[in-house]
Amino acid sequence: MSAAVSEAVSEAVFRSLLADGSVVTVTATRRPRGGRADIKCSAPGAPALAARMQEVARLARHTEARYDSRDQVVISMDRAPGAQERDWELAVVLADRTVRGLLLPAATPQLALGWSDGWQRGRIDGHDAAQAPAGALLGGPRHLRHLGALSGQPDVSASVSSARAWFPLHSGGINDSLCWVEVSVYPLEPGEAPDDEAIAAPGLDSARQHAVRQTLAGARHFDGEAAPRWRTTVRFGQDGLHGNSYELALVLADRLARGREFLPRGRIIATGCSGAWHAGQVEGVEGLAPKCALIAREAAAGDRVLLPRAWEAHLPPGLRDGLRVKGASLACVERIGLI
Amino acid sequence: MMFDLFKRMARAPAFDATGLGSTLLARPIGSGCTLPAGASGVAVDRGGRTRRISAGGRMGLLDGESGWCFHPGPYGCDLVPFAAAPEIGLRLHFAVDSPDPRVSQQRFDLFLASEGAGDLSLAGFAAGIEAALQRELAQGNLDLPPCTTLDEWNAFRAGFNQLLYTRFGVTVDDCVPVDLRPGRDFAEVLRARAVHDADEPYIGVEAAPAAAAAAAPAAGAALAKVADGTPFDPAREDARALRRLFLELPCLMCRVRQATLPSGQDLFRQQQALLQRLDLVCLAASTMPALGLAAPGQPLAPGQQLRRARHSVAAAAALDEAWALLARFELAEDRGLEVLFDEADRIVANLEHALGARKLATEGEDA
Repeated sequence: MSAAVSEAVSEAVFRSLLADGSVVTVTATRRPRGGRADIKCSAPGAPALAARMQEVARLARHTEARYDSRDQVVISMDRAPGAQERDWELAVVLADRTVRGLLLPAATPQLALGWSDGWQRGRIDGHDAAQAPAGALLGGPRHLRHLGALSGQPDVSASVSSARAWFPLHSGGINDSLCWVEVSVYPLEPGEAPDDEAIAAPGLDSARQHAVRQTLAGARHFDGEAAPRWRTTVRFGQDGLHGNSYELALVLADRLARGREFLPRGRIIATGCSGAWHAGQVEGVEGLAPKCALIAREAAAGDRVLLPRAWEAHLPPGLRDGLRVKGASLACVERIGLI
Repeated sequence: MMFDLFKRMARAPAFDATGLGSTLLARPIGSGCTLPAGASGVAVDRGGRTRRISAGGRMGLLDGESGWCFHPGPYGCDLVPFAAAPEIGLRLHFAVDSPDPRVSQQRFDLFLASEGAGDLSLAGFAAGIEAALQRELAQGNLDLPPCTTLDEWNAFRAGFNQLLYTRFGVTVDDCVPVDLRPGRDFAEVLRARAVHDADEPYIGVEAAPAAAAAAAPAAGAALAKVADGTPFDPAREDARALRRLFLELPCLMCRVRQATLPSGQDLFRQQQALLQRLDLVCLAASTMPALGLAAPGQPLAPGQQLRRARHSVAAAAALDEAWALLARFELAEDRGLEVLFDEADRIVANLEHALGARKLATEGEDA
């Protein structure tokens, strides 16, 4: 949190789309409060819309743990959307958070579309735009469902619990990136027998589906789940995975979704596999140097980095300290679970 | 006079100590009662000053004093550190320790004086601890990350022990992570939510502004209040919050003076400025106008009373954060102090803001 204070940006810009397809820019700036309102909003020629913007931003702040009355955030839109349009709401909320250092500012203004009737719970109910450009941040049931999902955390008011964890994907240096895996669980009906489809991973080939099932079954056995309780869906952020270094991230996302793991403030970034998930063991994987470099680059305040214990002796010097300076923490584990 | 004395002796008031030491931490006790074995007494006068009555004695209360009888424990409870992870918890064993002779007022006595209302149950006390723990974890002041290592666990324990001692005046005997699974089934929780979602009426855009207006002043800090859906009684909540501020702020200031010894000129100035502002906050809390009056003889509209009460609750939440910050001050080394002073600045600003808004009779929406 302290890092967030000092690194806080003074301006944040997001973009959104209007119904006619034109782009609206949402700008948030932060300044000392000086006895004024906590949030001030403006949209050209639309005072009612400004009031609605302020309400959205205030409601979304209810999901934050830390309240700071010292700042005033000024949010403005460069053009006024129609009275019925609501896709700009997500952009306003994200700009309000980014300008106060709660989210990392992106290099270029991001396109965000989404509206909600439950901002006070952090929920995002949907987006209206029929065709959104690739790379846009979309709200809604099949996309970003609530604000905490930006760092992979489950929604505490939803009946489907879903969580994400990230793992480094090594593909030749320049294309290295963090990829997420999302696990959603929903309880089986009492008496419902679990079938093969109880753990589904749509879009994966059968061999990898089988591997995912084996991994989750083993890790849940380690948890002491006597009878299967969950209907599970696994999704990956990218297609065409190689290797099995995603396993630790998958297992941790599953534990987060089932409410059996402590929550980090940011994301979980993990790499590791195991031949014995039923014993909770974590084993080393390939690609130490590029993956550590990627993690050192991508990690942000609050993130939790988990690496196999086998890597501990070979970690690049300065990785641990570098992460600490950023506000992230690192641990090398040989077992999942409590200490 | 004589007759009065006889009557008092004849009455021989009995004190019901059922549950004390197991499900109850403390219970109000009348004057003249004998303290049960193992339990101590606390007498609280009208101004909130406390004195202890040692175990086995009689509660001799002076005029205007109210009495409490508490059992030192030990007590055990289960806490859930993250609301989103209900199957993993901490099993905590704690006790109210013997009084620390170095301080003039024990923190637990202050807790009873300012927050005690009726019986103090173990479940209620544990809920208070859990809320404090969840807030500290959410703000990142304590860290309990996935796959906690031993070093991280020890750092967490040190911070948590200090938090409980500074905020509640209890000492941690033992605290271990536990699997709450047999007693708490997350699948059941999710099923209940699904039923709830189906029953909940659709809240359209038209209904939203009313909810927003009621909720807006206490942004963030009063999140728990929004979530649990119990009716919010402005008069009661306001009185409780203001009593806490009135009694605890002076003690907090005392402790801030003692706890931090700034090493450099800059930090010293910051501390001085902070103490001055805290002084003014104390003054604001003790000269707060009555909830129901806009001006002498002028009643205030219920909507404005609700707004005022929410600001009081927000101020009390900032007070909680201040106690937690004091715990961090007491553990801090020199190099971390600047961050803590920035936190202190934020908390005092929140207190000033909430109390200032509580004073206003009508909310002036400004630019």
